[in-house]
Amino acid sequence: MARKALLISPELCIGCRGCQTACKGWNQLPAEKTKNTGSFENPADLTPIVFNKIRYVEVPSEKDPVRWLFVSQRCMHCDDAGCMKICPAPGALYKTKEGAVAFNKEKCIGCKLCVAGCPFNVPRYDAKDKISKCNLCEDRIAAGLEPACSKTCPTGAIKYGERDSLIGGSKKAGFAKVYGDTDLGGLGSIYAFKDSPKLYGMEENPQIPESIVFWHKVLKPLAYWGVGGAVAASLLHYVVIGPHKDDEEVKKDG
Amino acid sequence: MDKMIRKAGVFEIFNHWVLAISCFILALTGYAFLFHLEQMTGIFGSFAQMKVIHNYAGIVFTGSLVISIFFYLPESLHMTGDDLKWLSMLGGYLSKHPHVPPMGKLNTGQKLAYLGLVVSGIAIAVSGFVIWLMPGVKKYILLSHLAHNIAFDYIVFAVAAHIYLATLANPGTLRIMLSGTVPLEWARKKSPKWVKEMGY
Repeated sequence: MARKALLISPELCIGCRGCQTACKGWNQLPAEKTKNTGSFENPADLTPIVFNKIRYVEVPSEKDPVRWLFVSQRCMHCDDAGCMKICPAPGALYKTKEGAVAFNKEKCIGCKLCVAGCPFNVPRYDAKDKISKCNLCEDRIAAGLEPACSKTCPTGAIKYGERDSLIGGSKKAGFAKVYGDTDLGGLGSIYAFKDSPKLYGMEENPQIPESIVFWHKVLKPLAYWGVGGAVAASLLHYVVIGPHKDDEEVKKDG
Repeated sequence: MDKMIRKAGVFEIFNHWVLAISCFILALTGYAFLFHLEQMTGIFGSFAQMKVIHNYAGIVFTGSLVISIFFYLPESLHMTGDDLKWLSMLGGYLSKHPHVPPMGKLNTGQKLAYLGLVVSGIAIAVSGFVIWLMPGVKKYILLSHLAHNIAFDYIVFAVAAHIYLATLANPGTLRIMLSGTVPLEWARKKSPKWVKEMGY
């Protein structure tokens, strides 16, 4: 099945936060108690009960004193997902057939390693120490629906569809680059940015932490090749040289 | 019957096996986490259960490792010219008729292996507690995850070598960790300096 994605176009977003409430409605998430921080951005961050939110970025300039960027944020649904790489519990995180990174709380062991593995600071933990984040409305998609956030978006700032055609479409619309096109094997949440990703609060080249890549490519294989090697070397030693003879030691000392 | 000489005390032997069993449990569950070995749930229950077992076995391992320091660290740090010679010929393990220099209670290889175990053991214990008790602090978790896995690789390798060297490669060695006593003549071959120190 072709991979699905959410294409987010901040310039089409009017900051209504319908996506936030639709997400809460579908996923039955209670409200987050927040404080006024002097910004319309609310809540300030993803939490165990906030799977998506709009980042409000104010970019005032001489020419455009009220330039406001609204950036819808959620799990990026990486193809090469750092959270899945580091997760020690099989089945706790898994890929849906649409390519989303979904989770099974019953398999989650609450170690929180995925928090360290995620390049986008997405995974959160609920009161029972289980992972809690956007799963691209796995259950809605299974029922032939689209995710709640894109369904409710009134301006088309969040579009759900086949990843390839979304990318093709935005390239046709004049976007030279789509953020997340190739990063981390291709993201499932992709962005049509008119300016540099930094301006929208996104990292230029998101990557899985190097230590995790090193662990995956070197330390993990060593854990069995190293032991296998030690066992093989021991057997070889036993056959070729045999047990330690120490008669000579006695003579020398005697 | 040969005259026997005591090489390890009862508590030392007990502590060795506490360390060995906790290490074995930690390694098994560790491999399960590393390679998603679902078969391991047959022994330990669920992965959530395994995490609990791994964490608490870690406490036992750490305690036992600390105790072992009193038994082996001073001797392991005590290196002499004979140790250099021993090392230069790799303990005679690559020769069928080795002429190894006289050794004390521990030979050079045992000393180095123990020093390696202390360093990696402390690294794996500290990083393990960080992962357990400070979850979510990304910087520390990444560093600890790396240290935990490097130390793990060393320990599983060293333990495999240790088991071979203490059994097949050196017949008669295992009894030091079972009864604690060895024949005087055998000890003279393996640890002549120590036997002299003991006054035989």
